[in-house]
Amino acid sequence: MTSTDLLLQQVINGLSLGAMYSLLALGFTLVYGIAELINFAHFNVFMVGAMVAMLTLQGFGLVGQETILTGLPLVGTLLAGFAVAMLVCGGIGVGIERVLLRPLRGVKGPAAMITTIGVSYVLFNVVLLTLGSDAKNFPNPLPPIVWHIGGAVLRLREVLIWVIALALMAGLTYFVQYTRLGKAMRATAQDPEAARMMGVEVDRVVMTAFFLGSALAGACGMIFGLYYNLAKVDIGFAAGLRAFTAAVLGGIGNVPGAMLGGVVIGLIEAVSGQTIGTAWTDVIIFGLLVLVLIVRPAGLMGRLAPNKS
Amino acid sequence: MISRRSAIKTTTGVIAVSIINLRDARAADKVIKVGINLSFTGADGENATRIGNGAVIAFEEANAAKAVAGFTFQLVKLDDATATAGQYDPAQAATNARTMVSDKAYVAALGPQMSGAGKAMAPILSQGNLAIITPSSTNPDLTDPKFAQQYRPAGKAIYFRTVATDAFQGPNMANYMADTLKVKSIFVLDDSGAYGVGLSDAFQAQAEKRGIKLLGRDRLDPKAADYTPILTKIKSLNPQALFYGGVAQAGVKLAKQAYETIPDVIKAGGDGVYTVDLLNGAGFPAVEGWYATVAAPHVTEDPKAAKFSDRYFARFKQRPDDYTITCYTGAEVIIQAVKKVAASGKPVTRDAVRDAIQMVKLPDSMLGPIEFDENGDLRNKIISVFQIRKDATKPLDDPTAQYKYVGVAPIV
Repeated sequence: MTSTDLLLQQVINGLSLGAMYSLLALGFTLVYGIAELINFAHFNVFMVGAMVAMLTLQGFGLVGQETILTGLPLVGTLLAGFAVAMLVCGGIGVGIERVLLRPLRGVKGPAAMITTIGVSYVLFNVVLLTLGSDAKNFPNPLPPIVWHIGGAVLRLREVLIWVIALALMAGLTYFVQYTRLGKAMRATAQDPEAARMMGVEVDRVVMTAFFLGSALAGACGMIFGLYYNLAKVDIGFAAGLRAFTAAVLGGIGNVPGAMLGGVVIGLIEAVSGQTIGTAWTDVIIFGLLVLVLIVRPAGLMGRLAPNKS
Repeated sequence: MISRRSAIKTTTGVIAVSIINLRDARAADKVIKVGINLSFTGADGENATRIGNGAVIAFEEANAAKAVAGFTFQLVKLDDATATAGQYDPAQAATNARTMVSDKAYVAALGPQMSGAGKAMAPILSQGNLAIITPSSTNPDLTDPKFAQQYRPAGKAIYFRTVATDAFQGPNMANYMADTLKVKSIFVLDDSGAYGVGLSDAFQAQAEKRGIKLLGRDRLDPKAADYTPILTKIKSLNPQALFYGGVAQAGVKLAKQAYETIPDVIKAGGDGVYTVDLLNGAGFPAVEGWYATVAAPHVTEDPKAAKFSDRYFARFKQRPDDYTITCYTGAEVIIQAVKKVAASGKPVTRDAVRDAIQMVKLPDSMLGPIEFDENGDLRNKIISVFQIRKDATKPLDDPTAQYKYVGVAPIV
């Protein structure tokens, strides 16, 4: 393996990681943009997404890495896995907003944020008690197709992850930019008071943000499972923290920023593991975050909001 | 639905009944508590149950046979894993140690499973003079006189083992790689835990001494999901073998991802990768070919252990593994020690039991002769090597069927 091949391979690794971080970061950023709330339950909504996706695939009779599907059955199974994971997680997101957070809207202080931390632990423990704490063998029906680019290896799995992540992000961008509800979301993000005065149903907008963010976390859970062939009750914390960092790095509240932040962190993780050592990965990621925030306090693509008070 | 009043009545009833039971037990026999501290939940949970059941069966048999007249053993399970850690948590282990020390009814203990837990527990147990016998924690520091200040500040050895240590497990595996597998170049990883780092350090030192070229050393974050960057780096260095010192939490992910990135590299670990969690979590084909060691003689296929294996199967519907037997033997040591103290007519206190454990001689245990040196280590140290080879005729998550014994690792 030449050093160019090696760099290419690490870029492939980094982009796959980045795709996952981006999808997760979008959930943080959507909710923050609309509700100015950091939703810590997001960590474990993602984990639940991975578990639901796993159970769905197992429902189709897939066990471990032994069943390989092709053609229509493969597409159908994957679609079903994504659909169920996204709907269940979206539902959980809406439930969290409607039942727990709406009564707290307007309450000053960290009550809402603490609530999301509580929800995070509830989700964690429910899964812990029902499914157990061991590492689960996530079914992987993808055929082992591999392309060699020089000395680097590109797998079908990675291409699929990029394509799905890009499609989801493109869909989200279209939704936010061009649909009526999307415009209402942007309006609410800019100024909820004014938006309400103009007839925007803010409740509906907030709920949509939670639904979309959580559904993306569900999709990310499925992608995580397909990529690592693994689901485990504690996967939410490490991935969630990196994704949250990605959202802040890109400029929290900013949709393209979250995507960029995710990819940047994924690439840093891969390349620093190669050159410096994985023991230093977190130091580098968070060190970089601090540096960026010193130079650009609103993140790479964020704009400082005018003082709303 | 139960009304509040009837609920209160039921509760009072239950309390009354349990008090009566307690009285009965007291009138007949003095209850001796033995704590067993393992990582019953989390990544190593299934293993913990399999190990702990060795003690369950030992004390059940001792109580049934009235092994010590006038005394009933009560085995109390303490879990040192927490949900936030996802595996053993040293802070929880310390709390468990304090729980045992503060209750005079505990005269001895078994465990812990993990060296990281042991390091947190040992100083507390030393202050309380409560002897503990570990069936599986192999970090050498715990019994090394160099660290006596730290792990036995009160002076006497309280940390006993029915296993050998990583001071043998790592280096002996290095010898096995050099002699039997003819490995010339190696990459070493650890999982940043006390056990993993110690094991990898000991392995690495001996590997280099034996002329195996060290191509690199790195550390895995057990909570991270992705090890492909480091595995890609390893692939580019092209070592003949990879040694991983660590437990299942990182091991499962490492095995999965290593199978895809570096399928042709020889992979080996210590007893941390001898676990049902690896078979379940990573599964075949990813785990095929991994080498693992156990810091005890391999006896489950020994005719001496066959009877035990059958009794164990009848009770728990699964087969014991080697650390079940080290745990059973640890329990035998405790029973033997209590018996000695009781026979001498002295009160059965933890001080007396500790001194008795130090002197115990089991010439004919399933593990061979058991005797401790003044540091609590076994006098007789053996490291067994296993390789995972798929046996489709047996359950794929049964370590006793899927780990094939390939021999004893040559001693340093």
